[in-house]
Amino acid sequence: MYDHFDTPEPDEAVKLALRRIEESTARGEGSDMDGLAFNEVVVNMGPQHPSTHGVLRLVCTIDGELVKDVIPVIGYLHRCKEKLAEKRTYFQYIPIIDRTEYLASINCEWGYVLAVEKLAGIQVTRRAEFIRVITGELMRIASHLVAVGTFTADLSPLGTAMVFYMFRDREQILDLMEELSGARMMFNYFRFGGVRYDLPDGWVEKCREFLKSFPAKIKEYEALVDDNAIFLQRTQGKGVITQQDVIDYGITGPNARASGIDLDLRRHRPYSVYPELDFQIVSAQHGDIFDRYRCRMDEMRQSLKIVEQCLDMLPKGPVQIGSLRAPYVITPPPGSCYVGQENPRGEYGTYIESDGSRYPYRLKFRDPCFCNLQLFPKLLSGNKIADAVAISGSIDLVLGGIDR
Amino acid sequence: VGLVVGSNPMSMDAIAARLLERFAGDVEHVRIQEPDTIVARIAREKLKDVAARLKADPEVGYETLNWVAGVDRHTAFESVYHVYSWKTNTWIELHVELPKDKPEVDTVCDIWPAADWHEREAWDMVGIRYLGHPDLRRILLKDDFIGHPLRKDYVDLAENHPHV
Repeated sequence: MYDHFDTPEPDEAVKLALRRIEESTARGEGSDMDGLAFNEVVVNMGPQHPSTHGVLRLVCTIDGELVKDVIPVIGYLHRCKEKLAEKRTYFQYIPIIDRTEYLASINCEWGYVLAVEKLAGIQVTRRAEFIRVITGELMRIASHLVAVGTFTADLSPLGTAMVFYMFRDREQILDLMEELSGARMMFNYFRFGGVRYDLPDGWVEKCREFLKSFPAKIKEYEALVDDNAIFLQRTQGKGVITQQDVIDYGITGPNARASGIDLDLRRHRPYSVYPELDFQIVSAQHGDIFDRYRCRMDEMRQSLKIVEQCLDMLPKGPVQIGSLRAPYVITPPPGSCYVGQENPRGEYGTYIESDGSRYPYRLKFRDPCFCNLQLFPKLLSGNKIADAVAISGSIDLVLGGIDR
Repeated sequence: VGLVVGSNPMSMDAIAARLLERFAGDVEHVRIQEPDTIVARIAREKLKDVAARLKADPEVGYETLNWVAGVDRHTAFESVYHVYSWKTNTWIELHVELPKDKPEVDTVCDIWPAADWHEREAWDMVGIRYLGHPDLRRILLKDDFIGHPLRKDYVDLAENHPHV
């Protein structure tokens, strides 16, 4: 008989948190001014919590309002993506990639397709390369809109105003993508050597319209937030990621660039047609919450610039290799390869080992959020609980990618 | 901008030559994987020592661990480390072979802090034991899960999921 009033047996993470309290008490730490240690409490946050944006669970040790220690628990969204690859052909696996990191799924497809192309030596048609950059950068904007929107909603100086505006504008991008691929989020659009469909009639004009109208909207967002006293108070100087943290923990993407590191794989490990395009790597100096927010806003501007150039340069020609369809069955030669690709959240890497058969022998994803989340215990400890929520929002986690 | 990526640009041949010279006997089968990665093998007893020296190298300096993957090769296990050098803007891929009956290797957590979760994942999925790891718990699967699913001989039975 299950008694609802029974305290359930603590799991490994809670036991670890309790053990750490005992250890610090034994060392004489973690006590207040009267030498009492029992004001440290273990509080469970998540996995169902609105501010974790998914099924992230944080086992927090708190002392009053102060966060002393955090143990992230992940795996609630684990769907055995790497195991599934053992029984799928390379081609069959493309739609499964979409479901890893669902906010920027086209960029994840891109990473996987790049790795397979490198392994099998497949050349991509030139028109398809440009279409890939266009879709990839549009999804970068869409992803940053969700990131910044939900983050400002967590901070809530504006209530949920920002998140509604941003989701409204993200919808324009999803409409463009839907017209192109037939789906709003799970695109299944990339093929080895190209993309699935060519641009439909009138798509370029619609895209240009979007490019024209969007800069004004970015200004609108900035007018709402950038001078907001509450927003500035809550974000400036809080949750600083130092350059040493970036080096030690492999932080990538806007989170690293906000700390003054100019690492961007589009420039430093160039793929596709990025070397031909003119864009800047956005970076900031302080590495605090505000700078991470600024980096995302400025990156949206750069993405617009890239899309505009691609539309201008878009060559004519086929979007797939071969006569009609991209190859369905491919058998790369035995060997391994790793390709890192700049996702909106950082370096999304795909490591593939082939044994010469139709199925990948081993497929491994390096997810940027997984690496960024590892910094949480260090980043959140010593902050107030309310700030911890703001900091975790600014890191921009997608649990689908972390748990795979 | 503070840290500049690629402050000491070196050609891949120069890096490979330097590794062969400074790590003679420790790093084996060094080959260049175009365009920017060096692949090498290390004996498992030497991993920790070599890793510390690779990180401290003043000219190349492999400072950031990117990821760790466990691979089951039927006859042996393998732990793969992918490390980034900021100075030269290149990567190195270290393969460490582990015997089938005793898949154990020293942890590199204290050298590259990022190894913590990646090693937990390799333990969880492939069952490679990282000796000296501060907190080698399962990470993606439940605490009471039985077996390591990315092993090639893993059979999925209902008993393996006691929590379901």
